[in-house]
Amino acid sequence: MKVTRRDLLVWSAGAAAGLIVTPVPWKLLDDTSIWSQNWAWIPQPVRGPVEVKQSACTLCPQGCAIKVRTSAGYPVGVSGVSSHPVSLGALCPLAYGAHQLNWHPQRLRSVRHGATPSSWSEARKAFAKACGEGRIVVIDGYPGRAASSVLRTFAQKRNGDYRVVFASDARSLVPYEDWSGVPASALGYDLENAQTVISFGAPLLDGWGAPGRFTRLWAERAAGMTDPQLRLIQAESSLSRTAARAWQWVPLHDGSEAALATGLARVLLEEHLVSAQGPMPPLTLAQAADQTELTSDAIRDLARTLVARPPVVAIANDENPSIAALNVVLGATGARGGIVRRSKHSDVNVSADAVIQNARAVLIDSTVPWDFVPHTDAEIFRFAAWDGGSSKAEWLLPAPGFLEDQTDVPPAPTSAIETYAVAPALVKAPADVQSSAQFLASIDSSLPSSDSIIHSRCEDLFRARAGTLCGQETMPLAKIASVQKFEEQLSKGDVWVAEALHSESLRCVLKEWPTPTGPSPLEDWTTSWRAPVLPPLATKLYRESSLRKPPERRNA
Amino acid sequence: MSARYGMVIDLDRCTGCGACMVACSTENNVPSLPQATARTGITPILVRKVSNGMDGGARREAFVPILCMHCEHDTPCVKVCPQQAVEVDKATGIVMQMPQRCLGCRYCMTACPYHARYFNWWDPAWPSGMEKSLNPGVASRMRGVVEKCNLCHARLHSAQEKAAASKKREIDMADYVPACVEACPTGAIRFGNLADKNDPVTQDAHSPNAFRFLARLGTEPKIYYKSKEAWVRALAEPSSGRDSEVNHG
Repeated sequence: MKVTRRDLLVWSAGAAAGLIVTPVPWKLLDDTSIWSQNWAWIPQPVRGPVEVKQSACTLCPQGCAIKVRTSAGYPVGVSGVSSHPVSLGALCPLAYGAHQLNWHPQRLRSVRHGATPSSWSEARKAFAKACGEGRIVVIDGYPGRAASSVLRTFAQKRNGDYRVVFASDARSLVPYEDWSGVPASALGYDLENAQTVISFGAPLLDGWGAPGRFTRLWAERAAGMTDPQLRLIQAESSLSRTAARAWQWVPLHDGSEAALATGLARVLLEEHLVSAQGPMPPLTLAQAADQTELTSDAIRDLARTLVARPPVVAIANDENPSIAALNVVLGATGARGGIVRRSKHSDVNVSADAVIQNARAVLIDSTVPWDFVPHTDAEIFRFAAWDGGSSKAEWLLPAPGFLEDQTDVPPAPTSAIETYAVAPALVKAPADVQSSAQFLASIDSSLPSSDSIIHSRCEDLFRARAGTLCGQETMPLAKIASVQKFEEQLSKGDVWVAEALHSESLRCVLKEWPTPTGPSPLEDWTTSWRAPVLPPLATKLYRESSLRKPPERRNA
Repeated sequence: MSARYGMVIDLDRCTGCGACMVACSTENNVPSLPQATARTGITPILVRKVSNGMDGGARREAFVPILCMHCEHDTPCVKVCPQQAVEVDKATGIVMQMPQRCLGCRYCMTACPYHARYFNWWDPAWPSGMEKSLNPGVASRMRGVVEKCNLCHARLHSAQEKAAASKKREIDMADYVPACVEACPTGAIRFGNLADKNDPVTQDAHSPNAFRFLARLGTEPKIYYKSKEAWVRALAEPSSGRDSEVNHG
């Protein structure tokens, strides 16, 4: 048979047409698609030995205990530690993505002077010169640490000022400092023994204090119960997350929290619902009702509800003296289930003013919230692990990031029990970062190092032989053989817990009813976050869902 | 004995913090991409806010975590998948999604009554160096496939490996805890084996206040919810004439 050119053409056309109905092109298409979906450069997890280590989250002053899972030496996951006496195994949503922060695109890795790159030696030279020329102000956002002690000592030696930017929950304890003479850093809320909690806009279930503490209490004693063991009353203008879950929501006019507290105190005193005596509040019940847009009867009923199930404590969202005075009237200061003294010795910390005058230089520690921008003519040296932009700082100095620096963990600001822990460095810091304490020690070699202060604090605790060590098992400190063993246990994630002080060790005297202050903006997890950036996965909370409003001035 | 893994989510305990969403994404190496939005992002567990539709002081709100319900019977996504990329694992009851088989037709997304499936629109990407923080137990997945909750299957594997190493046939339930359950600060999400009548989660699933969303479809979802609030329980059947409002935004 002769094969013609036409036969070849017909056969080729037929083969081409037939190929379409075979699986070949579709298989090719599918394989090409799969091949293009699995490019070699698509990131894959790093394989290596998996370990679990314990530390503490130091991204805010709550110091929640964390378990960090590492693979090939890199942290790949964070979870809570249920044996921790304050955080109780719970963490804020952001902590679950915190291990990714060290690779955030806005991570600071080199010294910047204005917009230009500089060096540590230049920064040291400039700061030393400024110290010689005038007053310096050192600002800390996480007081009580060994590093804070270095900052305070440096400021004192140079006749400078050591100031603190308090978290809003810690600010709520400041009024008692004036009335009792006990530093606010030694006070805490004994929520575990309270039966009625009235919150004036404090986000108790959404970012107030250590995340696990109140939420766990509420979940066990109140959630879904018609007559709960723990009555949570939320006085707030909007239906917040806490208000939505509270036993009772009191919708009041925005910014009238102080008026409601004053009105409640007046009812309590006039109707002799409390045994405490105190100055009669200047506001009448009718005036309080007018300001809060509640009825007089509603305020009167609320006052009776408060005292129906003691112990009762009022919690403010900020440094609101009227709400603090309500606690004095309620007899909640120095009482079980109220405001108690947790430690005998504590430093008096002075709050940092937004306006700083007559200073030559201001040094801002990396723990100070990025939003704190002082109004000053002084030269600003700002330590930060991440660059949040527009800081107005002349010097931007790269600080260690998450778990890159060993630090000790003082008690959470609102905790009723004194604790001490150590958060070991689990991750190697980049080459060119320094903490502010290391920076100051390089200028003044007589300053003690943070590590030596941690060691001496451990020695002091060990010598006192009081308290217990909470870890996988709870053990009295007296049973620990040596200070080295104690330090070793702390570096493995154990927490030292002090014996509770007698509640009588706090006495508040209220001579006159305080002047009300203006309301503070409400906070939640994202606004109380200290770093200028959020973990990238935080976008799941607001951009990839409608769960939360996008945070201001925070980049994920 | 076959297991039927499932959950009971106590809506009276959920504060809508979102810890479950972040912990789930970390565990499953879900990337956070700048172009992802509420419509295009991947959130295998998504907390939605719902209200009773009232105003002022009478308004009540609750938070409902929505994830794959792991339907037991006539599983809608399994029925429509042309690639057999979805199947119900008979040993665990988990509705499994196999990305290697998925061709991205998204029939399953349309069929899912709970909108608990997500399309992976982009290649996974992380800022430089961040890939070192990925969970080694879970592969980063390709674009063009459908994603969903698999009840942290990597954790089940780890628990099975541990059981096998100690020559046990059954896993210890304490070793298998999905990331969202572990992260929930109020203990609202509880996980257990619904085939075990003695499991407290099984008992909770049969409590008077427990319910399942769209139970009338007969798909036997293994994610139960519970609430003492009647208006919250009424959300279970949104087209059955209830007068409350569901606010997704």
